[in-house]
Amino acid sequence: MSVLFSLHDLLAVGGGFVIGVLSGLLGIGGGILLVPLLTIGFGSAQQVAQGTSLAAIIPTSIVGALTHDRLGNVDRRAALWTGAGAVTGTVIGGFLALRLPHDILARGFGVLLLITAWRFWVGRRSKYTGPDGSDSR
Amino acid sequence: MLGGLLGGLLGVGGGFVMVPFLVLWGRLRQHSANGTVLAVILPIAFVGTIVYYFGSRHPQVDVRLALLLVVGSVFGAFIGARAMHRLPETTLKMALALILLAVGVKELLFP
Repeated sequence: MSVLFSLHDLLAVGGGFVIGVLSGLLGIGGGILLVPLLTIGFGSAQQVAQGTSLAAIIPTSIVGALTHDRLGNVDRRAALWTGAGAVTGTVIGGFLALRLPHDILARGFGVLLLITAWRFWVGRRSKYTGPDGSDSR
Repeated sequence: MLGGLLGGLLGVGGGFVMVPFLVLWGRLRQHSANGTVLAVILPIAFVGTIVYYFGSRHPQVDVRLALLLVVGSVFGAFIGARAMHRLPETTLKMALALILLAVGVKELLFP
């Protein structure tokens, strides 16, 4: 039963592509979509799905960030200070996740997403056009 | 910090927390926020992967599956980032809100 590439594998590549598009489009790493894809679609355990999703995000965000930077859509100063705090948080969060039951994690995740969705829908028409008023579109 | 904590906790990059954070409090435009957050996610995902791989007795990373996903996602990320550059801010926000809503409902009902 040594098939080099199965249908399962092709689906993983296809799913990766769709999630990559959304990642580049929406500035998310793709983890919020990858984790459900892996748990529901590929039957991964929650924690393996989370670890695998983080690994897949690395190259995805490299390509996304470089493309955005070339188009002038990266605020490097903001990236620096946000990044410094975020890395610290990640280490703590990662260790906690390995020791917490998964349905608590998943439900907390769900509540957070709904709040964020609501805030974005309400604020979808922004009141300002940008720091310098310019528009690159 | 908060984005990273949640990211590591939930196995996501934290982008869905940081995009709103930068737009609502950092006063970045949606386009800048999206690009900036991807740059920030990179070190988070890197550190997070190491923690998931070495942080428990068995590596919690399916390396083969990750590689397959990446084959598709790097092309997707390039296309998505270029597409974003041309789309208006309101469209991006609505798309993000809908995705967050869909995933949020799923996680609540089927954790």
